[in-house]
Amino acid sequence: MLAKRIQPMFFQARRLYVELMFQVMGRALQAVSEIDETVQQEANALPEGFLFEMMVMPDGARLIVEHTGNGRFRYLGDSAPRAVDLSIQFKHIAHAFLVLSFQEKTSVAFANDRMLVDGDISRAIRMTRILNRLEAFILPKLIAKRAVKEYPENIHLPEKLLNAARIYLKVATNFVETVKA
Amino acid sequence: MTDKFYEFFCPVKVIAGKAALEHIPYELSGLAAKRPMIITDKGVRAAGLLDPVVSACEESGLDIVSIYDDVPPDSSKAVVRDIAGIYRSEKCDSIIAVGGGSAIDTAKAVNILVSEGGDDIAKYSGAGVLKHPLKPFFVVPTTAGTGSEVTAVAVIADTEKHVKLPFTSSFLLPNAAIIDPRMTLTLPPHITAATAMDALTHATEAFTCMAKNPLSDAYATAAIKKITGNLLKVMDNPKDADGRLELAQASTMAGIAFSNSMVGLVHALGHATGAICHLPHGLCMSLYLPYVLEYNLETIREPLGELLLYLDGADVYAATPASRRAEAAISAIRRMRDALYKRCELPRTLKETGKVLESQLDDIARAALDDGAIMFNPKEVSLDDAKAVLARAWA
Repeated sequence: MLAKRIQPMFFQARRLYVELMFQVMGRALQAVSEIDETVQQEANALPEGFLFEMMVMPDGARLIVEHTGNGRFRYLGDSAPRAVDLSIQFKHIAHAFLVLSFQEKTSVAFANDRMLVDGDISRAIRMTRILNRLEAFILPKLIAKRAVKEYPENIHLPEKLLNAARIYLKVATNFVETVKA
Repeated sequence: MTDKFYEFFCPVKVIAGKAALEHIPYELSGLAAKRPMIITDKGVRAAGLLDPVVSACEESGLDIVSIYDDVPPDSSKAVVRDIAGIYRSEKCDSIIAVGGGSAIDTAKAVNILVSEGGDDIAKYSGAGVLKHPLKPFFVVPTTAGTGSEVTAVAVIADTEKHVKLPFTSSFLLPNAAIIDPRMTLTLPPHITAATAMDALTHATEAFTCMAKNPLSDAYATAAIKKITGNLLKVMDNPKDADGRLELAQASTMAGIAFSNSMVGLVHALGHATGAICHLPHGLCMSLYLPYVLEYNLETIREPLGELLLYLDGADVYAATPASRRAEAAISAIRRMRDALYKRCELPRTLKETGKVLESQLDDIARAALDDGAIMFNPKEVSLDDAKAVLARAWA
């Protein structure tokens, strides 16, 4: 009985968590592309104006970023000005929650068929590498190890802390600017 | 609660063995198809492999309405559009693909156009675009390696935009795969060897990569056992119809395994090498397999060790300490490659191919990193890692 009453609250909380994580990830993608050379090199291979989307099927939460050139991303929120070029789609919000709460690695989610790729697979692989690098910066190492296939050995603590601080600061600033606007 | 999860799907009816081709008329009639079109290539026709297919149908009063025998090795949008045009003008109602990977992929793409309508196959590119079953579609493989008869993907070149268009949908799967030993009896030794090593790689990667599951494991191990038990016998006696059938079945089983558990770094490197150096896919698989297994070794020690049983038999498996079985499995694959080199000079290193320049290795490594298969490799691969594997595979 109690479980039945709690269930809607859990579903609501899960939906809000996924929406919040998408908002954080979108802004963090923009931030990491402004400070990290490796991410810039990866992103630079994408065409200018390239629109990337992560979303929950069929019409759930989503994040959209645009490659504005020179390896920089801009977070566009949850609506795209035109058809997106690449979309990574979670089949169900439960699957998005597993990944975004770091219970399932992104690569395992792909292997488990939790997600579909609509668009060029090689670009999806590139975006996954960028997301992995972002997670390696912004998450504590213990949690990041649960999120990525292999924690990169070449990210050392001072670099990680400095970049994480810069990313979080930019994310917070972006949130404030959005609220003000 | 367990965190294990998998999906497994293979609705293809497998019709295998002696006089399997003669089942085609009955199977087509079961799908109310009366006007089949054959899609194949000139090599298949020249080898006389169409004759038993056509006569099997005609004997049952089923006329093959049209035969398109000009599928190129890398099929394009224009080829697909042209074949679809012929299908429509001849009022065909079903497709029989006879051939290897290219003929089968082309037939899958033609089936999309003639079922969904239109002339531009690019419109249907991507995953999950198709929403309805397609026309009756049978596949008669003439090589024992690609496993395309049981995979839900096709790749067609867009020669105007210089890109390869991927198509993924369970509706691309044929209604039936017809495995008849007559179709592979005349395969030349180096193609027999390369395609069998392709199947061995499908099975090995299916068993050791990230999306492995109990059902794909069963297909993968059975396929490996058939290949190791029959490949050298067939190389020594190419007319061994039983051995040929075993290899053809192994290819289909490996195809079922990898289409449900995906493949890894061997395929990522192989796709990149094929695109840059134009080496045949099966050869690339044979070439990279041991080097990639060595790279992945510590991540896949347990499953790779299990494979020793199927690669080298029960006696060797029992006599090898558990801690050494993974290395012994790699050694067994190396011995198989050496035996094939002795019989048909199937290259074991990039240098032995004579078609790859050392200066191309960096480009291959970069291209491999963007290949979809790399996602399912059990160990993360950086650019330096890929370069290191290529350096070991060089000579």
